[in-house]
Formats: sequence, structure tokens, C-alpha cells
Amino acid sequence: MHERLSFHMKRNSVIHRLNPLTKLVLILALILISFTSPWYWTPHFVLLLAIIPLSALGGVFPEFFKTATRLILPAASFLFLMQAFFQPIGEDVIFKFYFLDITQESLMFAFRNAMRVFVMVSAFTLFLLTTHPSELMSDLTRRGLPPQFAYVIISTLQILPQMQAKAQTIIAAQRSRGLDTESTFFKRAGSVVPLVGPLVFGSLVEVEERAIAIEARGFTSKHSKTSLHEIPDPSFDKVIRWVLLALVILSIAANLWLA
Amino acid sequence: MKIEITNLRFTYPTGLEALQGISLTINAGEQVAIVGQNGAGKTTLVRHFNGLLQPACGSVLIGDWDTKKTSVAKLASRVGYVFQNPDEQLFSRDVLTEITFGPRNLGYSKEKIDGLVKRALALTELSDKTEINPYDLSPTWRKMVALASIIAMDTPIVIFDEPTTGQDALNVARIANVIAELRQEGKTVVTITHDIDFCAENFERVIALSNGQVLLDGPAREVLGREEILAQTYVDPPQLTRLGKRLGLKETVRNQEEFLKAIW
Repeated sequence: MHERLSFHMKRNSVIHRLNPLTKLVLILALILISFTSPWYWTPHFVLLLAIIPLSALGGVFPEFFKTATRLILPAASFLFLMQAFFQPIGEDVIFKFYFLDITQESLMFAFRNAMRVFVMVSAFTLFLLTTHPSELMSDLTRRGLPPQFAYVIISTLQILPQMQAKAQTIIAAQRSRGLDTESTFFKRAGSVVPLVGPLVFGSLVEVEERAIAIEARGFTSKHSKTSLHEIPDPSFDKVIRWVLLALVILSIAANLWLA
Repeated sequence: MKIEITNLRFTYPTGLEALQGISLTINAGEQVAIVGQNGAGKTTLVRHFNGLLQPACGSVLIGDWDTKKTSVAKLASRVGYVFQNPDEQLFSRDVLTEITFGPRNLGYSKEKIDGLVKRALALTELSDKTEINPYDLSPTWRKMVALASIIAMDTPIVIFDEPTTGQDALNVARIANVIAELRQEGKTVVTITHDIDFCAENFERVIALSNGQVLLDGPAREVLGREEILAQTYVDPPQLTRLGKRLGLKETVRNQEEFLKAIW
């Protein structure tokens, strides 16, 4: 099997065993609740009491923590600063920096928005860490997602590492012919042509071969297809999904009620 | 030109120990075939010869150049490497430009380049196809263009990575012819192959690799006679060699000529 571009970590945990749709519903529900709940501290609690414990339960806490601190935290912090400085709300100025005022309101507002974004991105991180992309796609296809759509997603994830490997081989082949890819910029710029040609041409040929190969296996056939790899969807999963849906509706309703 | 490999070790980033302490000397003008199962480390080994891979431990000397201290572009003047798949190598609009690319990179004079290209074209029987786009040629001829593009670089060492895979008998004969010509010119030829008949008919020395180590190394006649040991790396000796063994011939035979001589 080819290497895929995916964040998926192979573990045997409760979260990994959940149906992919359940996981998708779970993270979407957490995100929607964080964004719609009228209570100020909701996103913070969702992160602390749901997402972080779930990542530990899924056995991916170290990977989750790494992504969260290196990628999401800097982005959320930047958002926080921007909003705190440029949000013209509130009167109660607590900090002045040249012409920029920070009020208590803008601070609170920025903190919540940064947290919402943090929840959104980290929820998706959790999802990607615990769900294999092809498992998600075959489950969604079984539920009626057009197979063409699934193919586009999966093949993109598959083709990128393959193209990368191919590019490496082509570079090696041209360097063996004395192509200078290491010295001055101008020499390197001139060496692009011998690399791009075979890569683009080869990739086009591969796309055609791939299309023929999947068509030979009845890709566009109208009949319903069986799958070698059954993805379980126990009633427990269905219950979870309905509960989550109910929570989202409650959250939106509360928001409208109090608005 | 001599290739000297001392206690070479290499580990891929995935943690796979592809080469586990290989020491070899390949003398100038030798014709060597490297055989062994998939994943034995054949390609990993020869990619050290022109610096595409750097040893984790040990050293590779090409003549007096240490591959660790020499760039790939510079090593290209001593080691020519024909890749397995010509499509990963060819990019020019026509065969002539393609073959000129290598020697021009090496900075030869115009007269020298013309001479080398002409010779390479003649050797690979491409002289009448210089104007054609390589991609309009059949896969077998594309392979010959890839061969010619390396031969034209006139390197003292030439490496072929599975030259006969997917080739018809006529083209295999052409490739054998090219190798014979390179031997005449005193070049060192190192060939990776799964084609054991091709190996038996064209090479004097055979190295069998298995799990990143040298399993057997010696004259083709000796190595191909060691059926049980070769089986460890999933290599079958040529049919005639095995038939000779079953018939109880004293000597190991490699080809029809030797076989006929032995039974007569």
C-alpha cells in the first residue's frame, strides 16, 4: 500500500473505533456549540472538558498537543492580538499603546473569538488524527456521497506523496547527468526544465492509467457495490449522533431565545 | 577506474537498514552484475557510487574521490547512471538534444561533444532517429535513448539499473552489445539485474546481495553454481546451469556453448 498524505495515527482506542460519521458529527457539534452558545465560557469548557480528554482517550494526546502548541496556538494568539487592538468596542480603557486602545470588552471579545477558532481547528485536528481518510470516504460513499467526490479527495491525498517520490527520482536522475542543482541561483533556475517536464508528463500518464484501472473495476457502474472492508455502525453510535444533534439545537435555540 | 567500498552502512529515514556493512572492490574495466531479491539493497548500493546517497558509516571511493566530499554534479564526470525508468530521465524535444545534455553539463569542448554523441548514437542504433521526440518513440527505443544519453558522457564507470526489464529479445541483444563495446573500451560496468540469463551471458563477475549484505561475490561461473545459497535471496541460476547440475556435469555451465561442450 502506498503512503498517503494523512495525519492519521494508527491506534486501537475507543475514539478510533467510533464510526467515522459519528466522529464527524461529534466535532461539528462541538464547533457549532462553541459558536452558538450564549454562555461566554462555552468554547473554553468545550476545549478543556471535551476535546483534550477525547484526544487522551484516543491515545493521540502527544500528537494533538504538538499540533496545538506549534500550529494552532500561534495562529489563535495572532487573532487574539488583532481583535483586542482593533475592536472598537467598550469604554473601559485598561491599556493604551499609541493610538490603540484595549478595553475590557475588546479583550473579552478577542479572547472568546480566539478560543472559538482554537476549538474549531483543534477539533478537526483530533478528527484527522483518529480517522483514516479512506475509511471516512468509504463510509460516506455507503451513505450516498457520490463516489466521484470521494475519489477526488482520496486520490489527491494519495497523489501528492507519489508525486513527491517521483520528483525525487527525477532530480536524482538529472543530477546523475551532471545537472547542477546545488550551486548558484541562476544555475539552479535553469535546471527547472529537465525536472518539470518528466514530472508533469509522467503524472498525466499516471492519471490516465488510474482512470482506466478504476473503470476496469466498475467505478461508474450504477449497481450498488459491496465493500471488502465493512465499517461498523453500532446503535451506540446512532444514539450519540442524535444526542449531539439535540445539543446543537438546544444551543442554537438558547442563543435565539436570549438574543 | 576503481570503486572501493569500505564497511558501507546505510539506513533510510524510515529506520530500514538497507546496507549493513558492505566492503567491495571493483577494479577498473571489470563487468559486474549485482543480483538479489527485491529490497536486498542493490539500488541503494549503486546510488552511493555517484553520491546520490551518502554513507551513514564507512566510505565509497571512486578512483581517488571520496563520495562524501564530492558533489553529485562532479561525480557525474566519473560515474554514469542509467535509471530504470527512462521516463524519469528524458525531457528534451528531440533525441539529439537529449543525448547532448549530459556531455554539455560536463563542460566538454564542442568537437568532443559531437564525437561522443555520434559514437553513442551509433552504439545504440539511434543514428536515424535524432530528430524524433523521445516520447514519440516506443518504450524500447526510449530505453536506448536513456542509455545513449549516459554513454555520451564518456564516464569511466557506467551503472545500469535493470536495463533489460520490459525489453524484447532484440533490444536485450542491443543492450548486451553496448555493454560488450564498453568492455572493449576498458570501462567499468556495474549492472543491477533480475534477468539471470542476461547476467550469465554478459558478466564475468557476479555479486549476490541479501538483506543489505554480500551473500556471494566471485566469478559468474562460481556464483551461479551455488544454487542453495542463491535461493536465500530468491535467485534461480539459469535453466541450463540447473539442467547441467541435474545431469551431474562436473563444471558449472552458463550458456548453450558451454553446455554443449560439456555434454559432447
